[in-house]
Amino acid sequence: MTETGIPKLDEYLEGGIPEGKSLLFYISPEVEEDNIGIHVLYHNLEMGKQCIYVVSKSSPKQLEQSFREFGWDMKKYGEKLCIVDGYSRLIGAPSEEKYVILEPHDILSYEDVINETLENTPGSVVVVFDSLSTILDLCGEIEALQGIYRINDEINRQNGISIYNFTSWPYKESIIYRIKRGFDSIVEISPMSRESLIGQKYHISKISWGGKTGKTVIFRIYKPGGMKIYIPKILVMGPFRSGKTTFIRALSKQFTSVDRLGATIAIEHGTVDHAGCRAEVFGIPGQERFSPLMNKIGATATGALLVMDSSRPEYFEEIKKIANDIRNKNIPYVIVANKQDSTGGLDEYELKRRIGLEDATVVKTVATEGKGVFDAFEVLVNKIIEGGEMNAD
Amino acid sequence: MLIETGIDRLDELLKGGVPAITNVMLYSPPFIGKENILKKFVLSGLEKGEPVIFVLTDKSFSEMRKEMETLDKKFLEYEKGGRVKYIDVYSKGVELNEKGKNVIFVDSPINREKITASIIATEKEFTQKYGRHRLIFDSISTLIVYSDAKAVFRFLQVVSGTCKRLGATSIFSMTRGMHEEIEVQTIKHLMDGVIEMREDASRMQIRVQGCGEVVSRNWIDYLLEKDEIKLTGAFRMSRVA
Repeated sequence: MTETGIPKLDEYLEGGIPEGKSLLFYISPEVEEDNIGIHVLYHNLEMGKQCIYVVSKSSPKQLEQSFREFGWDMKKYGEKLCIVDGYSRLIGAPSEEKYVILEPHDILSYEDVINETLENTPGSVVVVFDSLSTILDLCGEIEALQGIYRINDEINRQNGISIYNFTSWPYKESIIYRIKRGFDSIVEISPMSRESLIGQKYHISKISWGGKTGKTVIFRIYKPGGMKIYIPKILVMGPFRSGKTTFIRALSKQFTSVDRLGATIAIEHGTVDHAGCRAEVFGIPGQERFSPLMNKIGATATGALLVMDSSRPEYFEEIKKIANDIRNKNIPYVIVANKQDSTGGLDEYELKRRIGLEDATVVKTVATEGKGVFDAFEVLVNKIIEGGEMNAD
Repeated sequence: MLIETGIDRLDELLKGGVPAITNVMLYSPPFIGKENILKKFVLSGLEKGEPVIFVLTDKSFSEMRKEMETLDKKFLEYEKGGRVKYIDVYSKGVELNEKGKNVIFVDSPINREKITASIIATEKEFTQKYGRHRLIFDSISTLIVYSDAKAVFRFLQVVSGTCKRLGATSIFSMTRGMHEEIEVQTIKHLMDGVIEMREDASRMQIRVQGCGEVVSRNWIDYLLEKDEIKLTGAFRMSRVA
């Protein structure tokens, strides 16, 4: 299995891409970042795998530049990264690469050079193509596809895997049909345009070896940073003095708050960056007078963390009220049973029973020590993705 | 709604200008005033407060900036005010070490994906801030030279649609004499109008196809004087001088 390193994708692919298989990123021309393959390349270089990167639309120097923008250092991989230069000859520029495609308008030239590269890099390789659409445009669509399938066979023979970026320009239906048939797995990338939300989403439309198709995940590409799942709005709610502020602080790498005498009187905001996922977290004050705020913000929330003080049963009724409110809005939520270090903290079963929400998910935390806060976050993120919250556009 | 080109008698010929939020192709051989029309179109927009996006495949953004400044001293002020953005598809390819605040660099004319993404990002910004804006794409010919007309056609299908959706009035330039007739026709097919220029036995002429209602569809003589295009031919009553 070869991992893609793309958040959540490997899980849906049942661990990654099996030997000999191909994956096509089928990318809408309207997305901001089209080179998704570069993230797979980076991940596998980091894993110590032998990688081949075939450039068709950008110079090999551009790859180094892109790596730098993401905060990665291309040089350190040495011979683990082999570049096949299908670009320089196209614009009549000299090439410093060992493997150069002399006739970029001829798919046979691609085949020759890639086969030679494969021979010289024995073992299971990861081959990433920066732009299949450019190869199709240059070599003629049908001929190029036939050649690409032959190249895939060669990679297969060597137990390697192949990754393609393909921009879905308005090609003829028959070409699109052939492309969709010809690859073992397809992940579609399109822009995300819900309200002011800027981002991209991936949707798994084909896997020939099992796994879970039909999944959609919103992501953003950060420079530096790379590709991350993006969750635009997680609410952190709960009664007075339940530890919301401490919880958000423990979770966030950036945090802003407005405090007065220890009680929060306005919205707190934190940015969480954890396990391939970046999320914006908003703390809603506990006091009753802020409920109009909740109604307004809550309408567009992606998920909610309901923080409670496990040792204070007098607030259980209020927790139940807030939880029902979230449920009515169909927002995925997790109950954060905080202050587990206090005496009188109840166990999970007892908590659920006392609150009267037997089917809720409860995660125990001690926010002051940072215990369990990321578990709660991960559980919620999974709920959001699995619940199909990301499918709506 | 009509968008003035900034050239008086051309606007007269167009009955006021080109229709707003359309895509117009400027088809002309080199050195007979094509660039002049593009620049006037830009300045006339900026004077009215309409921001401009340059997509440049044949010169660097700083070269264009210099040329624009020579034409109108106020140009730099417009740029400082955030109303001018460049998508420079030239500098990186020829390894010019250019830097700038209002520029997105695209490494290669073959990287149509990056060109599209840059246009969309810039247009979205302008649409949010100002609404209507203008776009200059100079030139389609370079893109065709580096790949092929069919691929560029597909690219333009996406870009021309996006420009309209996001509220741009756009001029795409194409160099006459560089392409097969069929290629030109295919690209024309995507446009709402064509402003065509030619040099015929030392006479320079211009004509308009499409672009809504116009006074005349005939070839009209013009002169190129000190960077100024002056239509000299008569076009009232459809007479050609």
